[in-house]
Amino acid sequence: MDLSERGLTAGKLVDMKWKLGVAVCSDECKSLNSPFVAMTLKVADASGKISTHTFELTIPQFQNFSEQMKDMAARMEMI
Amino acid sequence: MIKMAAHCDFSSLELLMKASSKEKVVKVCNDVYVMGSSQSDGLLSSVCESLGTRPNETKKMIESLSSVLKTIIFHGYTEPQEIQSLFPKDFHKNLRDLITKIALDNMNTWKTHSISTQVSLPRLVDFDWRLDTKMASDSISRTSVPTCILQMKVQENQTDVKTTPENHNINVELSKETLDTMLDGLSKIRDQLSSVARR
Repeated sequence: MDLSERGLTAGKLVDMKWKLGVAVCSDECKSLNSPFVAMTLKVADASGKISTHTFELTIPQFQNFSEQMKDMAARMEMI
Repeated sequence: MIKMAAHCDFSSLELLMKASSKEKVVKVCNDVYVMGSSQSDGLLSSVCESLGTRPNETKKMIESLSSVLKTIIFHGYTEPQEIQSLFPKDFHKNLRDLITKIALDNMNTWKTHSISTQVSLPRLVDFDWRLDTKMASDSISRTSVPTCILQMKVQENQTDVKTTPENHNINVELSKETLDTMLDGLSKIRDQLSSVARR
């Protein structure tokens, strides 16, 4: 991933809100009991304008994300 | 929408007997459950090919099979008798038992598929990250501040039935403090997850 090549700039993460939900049932399954994580990120661009992004993660994705963020924090300590 | 099995035209299911092997019936059931919900054109030709049947007669069978399979997955039946009781008493016993077995064998896979296509907010599909060190800026000639760049790929919900939904990227820069705060939040989620799992 090379952000500078794609001419993309990263905004600053300003806020992270989350919700842990359990899908109880759906039109296709009477009994689901399927947990999911929903997050809303607030990102400020260089001019200070804030945009929000809301999305869902499956539990395996959340666990992978969580592991990698921990890993990244550990590496940051070493710099 | 699920048409309950009671309104299903079971006689049309007998077309499945034209399959040359049990594996072909398994394939047809799988294709019908997985592709049936997206109204795919490819489904009809795939099933006709598996069974060696003509489109006209196959369409009705697909509708009925889809209705039966969806009813079974909706209720999440675990006992063969529960599924067998959906079929009329005079229905071909071997075919009934074969469909029952296929449904029970695939229950978990199909349920997982159903979850992945259910109503949802946009989904995180991938993420990348990179660790940078800021060495200098126009205001500071020498510094060494670690910074993380995180790129998340989010897939929007489909708006046009015929096209794959777009992915959009969220790029954020995180300082050590921001990352630590985020980790706090993530560990709270993990704690909640374990208590949900224990219930």
